[in-house]
Amino acid sequence: MTDLALRLAGATIGYGDVAIVRDADLTVRRGEAVAVLGSNGSGKTTLSRGLLGLATVLGGTVEVLGAPVGRQREHGRIGYVPQRHTVSGAMPATVREVVGVGRLPRLGLFRRPGPRDRAAVAEAVDAVGLADRLEDPVAALSGGQQRRVLVARALAAEPELLVMDEPTAGVDAASQAALAAVLARVSAAGTTLLVVTHETGPLSGVLMRAVVVDSGRLTFDGPLAAVGPVAGADCHHPAGAAAPPVRGYRLDQPRPAPDAVRVRDGSR
Amino acid sequence: MELLEYGFMQRALLASLMVGLAAPAVGVFLVQRRLSLLGDGLGHVALTGVAVGVLTSTAPVGTALVAAVLGAVLIELVRARGRTSGDVALAVLFYGGIAGGVVLLSLAPRGQATNLDAYLFGAITTTTGADVAVFAAITVVVLAVVWLLGQRLYAVSDDEEYARAVGLPVLALNVVLAVLVASTVVLSMRVVGLLLISALMILPSAIAQLVGRSFRSTLYLACAIGVVVSVSGTAGSYYTGTPSGGTIVLLAIALFLVVTAAAALREATARRRHVRRVEVHAAHPHEHGEGCGHRAVPHGDHVDYDHDGHLHAPHRTGTGTHYDEHSDHAATPPVGTERP
Repeated sequence: MTDLALRLAGATIGYGDVAIVRDADLTVRRGEAVAVLGSNGSGKTTLSRGLLGLATVLGGTVEVLGAPVGRQREHGRIGYVPQRHTVSGAMPATVREVVGVGRLPRLGLFRRPGPRDRAAVAEAVDAVGLADRLEDPVAALSGGQQRRVLVARALAAEPELLVMDEPTAGVDAASQAALAAVLARVSAAGTTLLVVTHETGPLSGVLMRAVVVDSGRLTFDGPLAAVGPVAGADCHHPAGAAAPPVRGYRLDQPRPAPDAVRVRDGSR
Repeated sequence: MELLEYGFMQRALLASLMVGLAAPAVGVFLVQRRLSLLGDGLGHVALTGVAVGVLTSTAPVGTALVAAVLGAVLIELVRARGRTSGDVALAVLFYGGIAGGVVLLSLAPRGQATNLDAYLFGAITTTTGADVAVFAAITVVVLAVVWLLGQRLYAVSDDEEYARAVGLPVLALNVVLAVLVASTVVLSMRVVGLLLISALMILPSAIAQLVGRSFRSTLYLACAIGVVVSVSGTAGSYYTGTPSGGTIVLLAIALFLVVTAAAALREATARRRHVRRVEVHAAHPHEHGEGCGHRAVPHGDHVDYDHDGHLHAPHRTGTGTHYDEHSDHAATPPVGTERP
């Protein structure tokens, strides 16, 4: 059992044979809450998808919870909240049914959910503050509530690592606050958080460390506070000279020899 | 009943009962996956299987099953490779299947090739006892797999990317679903015909989704609708002398139109009631409180007010006081929960 949630060493991630994220070094210890920042098209989403096996690791090492991507023996240890604005599919489904899907990885191939699984689903829905909507069709919920359903779906597996893609984008203030409270609780319970976002404001109380991706390279790794307001804006040089890192590690481009820029864990 | 006295009608009704039950149970996943026409594509492929059966003088039901299952697995593998879109793969299957069937049947000795109509449009009254036994086996397998893997099939149909990210066996589940579709296609071949097969899979689901609240209830409702239209269509075709397949599908479409109209009407009524309530609220621009003239109803951690026959739960928002409709007092919402 390793104490590292993530280890990327010289990792190149992309689709087909097109590299999007190049030569990334990153280690995240268990229990950390990390923001992955960057402008649109910077590669931050590709980075997160590489951890989930949704993008291809083209080179280097990517280990998640101690195992290379795709070699996880036990499913359900990694939770995923995709960047999606609604949950509703073509057919009606209740909150309980959608969140119940999140429990399936824990059930293996054929096992049907037991009392323990039903309890985990109810707890996950309760955690995002939708306990009274358990039997409602998801289509009847507001956009922000539907995003919380997706968070509950990820929580239902009781994951050790939670990867979220833009969980606060386009969500009303009440849902953002509810989301921040959930993530604070999950983080306090020891779950590692990796949140891809371009706005850290709503979650600034939860996320401690920030990694900035720019044009496929990791350009900053350090305390979230040191990134400054620049990273919040949708600009192309989030870690630019305007916000000198206080205790972070500015990684200049092109990068020097790998040893010199060993990205260390952020202080937390 | 007169029609139950004939052995061929007994077999026909039994077959339509099984088809009505199994086809929508598979169809709901296709609708969820937005692959409504997969059944049609596999129906075309099954035609090639039928032709092979006619040419080699083996039971067409068996060769059709093999062809449809092979086609189903093939299309999932093509989709998984990601080089061709599911849409194009489906089109290739459509045309290849029907062209193969037509060409192969033309090679058959004269007299046998004229059976084509029976497979294209269904000839339920020619169902033999052996056919019914095969249909029963397929129905049991289809329903058992849906019962066993339904939640996983739902997961993959609903959000394939998420299913892949959390380690569900996506390709295996997609292949299972495709094989279920192929089996159902062959099962439905005699009842509605290969050209109308998708109708019995998709229409009951399309009707049920207008009414259902949960996926499970929609699935059950779709199966119930499937049985009703399938059996009544078959029985009706006996009296009208029309082909069973077309009769069943027209019945289903009529039901779909009626339910769509009813759903639209219900929505319009709800909207009108909402507007009326908003007008009432605008005419009473006071905040509910002691002595406001509305009956106070204590409820859990707050007080609701009886307002024109429905309950109002006041809570503060940034812009003032907002009233939630508390018509259904199922549970006390936890603190921090907003209603849409």
